Amino acid sequence: MIGYIPGRSPLHRAHPYTTLALATGLLLGAFALTRPAEVWLLVAAAAVYAAVGGVLRSSARTALLLSLPIWALLFVVHGLLGPEPRAAVGPVAVSTAGVERALVLGGRITAIVLGFLTALSTASPHRLVEAMSARGVPFGRTFLLASTLTVLPRMRERAAQILEAQQCRGLRLGGSPLARLRALGPLALPLVLGALAEVDEQVLALDARGAAGGGRRTPLDPPPDSPAQRVLRWSVLALVVAAYTWKFWRLRG
Amino acid sequence: MTVRPLSLRDLVLIRLGVAVNLVIGQIVAALLLPVYLDSVGTILVAALVGPRAAIAAGLVSQVLAAVLSGNFTWLPFGLVQIVIALYAAGAARLGLFRRIATAVPAGVGMGFVAASCSAPISYFVFGGVTAGGVTVVTTVLRALGAPLSVAVASASYSTDLLDKAIACALVSVVLRSLPRTLAARFPALAR
Repeated sequence: MIGYIPGRSPLHRAHPYTTLALATGLLLGAFALTRPAEVWLLVAAAAVYAAVGGVLRSSARTALLLSLPIWALLFVVHGLLGPEPRAAVGPVAVSTAGVERALVLGGRITAIVLGFLTALSTASPHRLVEAMSARGVPFGRTFLLASTLTVLPRMRERAAQILEAQQCRGLRLGGSPLARLRALGPLALPLVLGALAEVDEQVLALDARGAAGGGRRTPLDPPPDSPAQRVLRWSVLALVVAAYTWKFWRLRG
Repeated sequence: MTVRPLSLRDLVLIRLGVAVNLVIGQIVAALLLPVYLDSVGTILVAALVGPRAAIAAGLVSQVLAAVLSGNFTWLPFGLVQIVIALYAAGAARLGLFRRIATAVPAGVGMGFVAASCSAPISYFVFGGVTAGGVTVVTTVLRALGAPLSVAVASASYSTDLLDKAIACALVSVVLRSLPRTLAARFPALAR
């Protein structure tokens, strides 16, 4: 499952910026590290992060499901089809350099996916919007992130309805690629044109709610921040800078 | 030069563009077409409003696609959405979406530019493996003996040229199908 899971863990109670800073730190750190051992240390850090959030089991399971196809392709592209020299592992000969590269790339992806799944599971979207409003983030940005998520299910439902309606009118979804391409118009056009026709109505509704004012909005229940959390966020930034400095220093050497 | 802040209308159109980017995949999947069409909304917003709103639509789409699917490897490809938005705005200014005959070549050009951005990201950042349909093409080409860089580039160019040509043709059809009263509300269309 991907999405917020209510809870009382330290990550649930933390300011949403702290939770997101840690996940972003994992993302940036993943690309700074280039050796298998380093990357797998980062995967371990991501697992600790998930454990602190009390979502290790659910996040690790989803991360594994999402990463497995990538791992399989990495093994084929780099392990089986990688460069020489090769080593025999059971009945197959795998590229040693390719396997090392696959371990780095797969570890990176696993750390990133696990980190962000944990952030999504522990940072409430409502608290994030409140935190953004409290920091004076313009209405437009919070609107785009929060409101689009509410529009998507409606659009998906409409797409399904159009699909059924056009099939009832005799539209065939199968056939040759050209026939399927021709069916794209009758399905996509009503969806897009219908949404465009509603734009003015939605602008009026937002205007009526004072969204065009441009003034700073007062959040009802902003999440509390603390000096310790601010230090933690700056420490994540310092660690990322240190990791990249080390990477480029090593590349020069 | 002062930059005009995004209006409420722009924000609603950006939201529409993001929703189209994310939902059109549902239709593509039902038709079993070998394309993504995940930038139709970005191109549409570029043609209706301009590059700034299109860049916002593209970036928000990329972030939400990653969040909703859990596949956060898509995040670095946000750069491709920026390039698509800028190219689409330029093509719209030149009036290339007015006819399908000009929209398709514009889409092929867009596919070339998009692949030129996505192939290096795929190769250098993810070693050519991003778990999309494009990776299957990469794997097949690699198995046929092509070097990894050639396999990644070939897979990216072949999928992006087709994908963006269809996306631009679809946007052209949408713009031509707009009722006159609706089209009059988008001054960018008149240029």
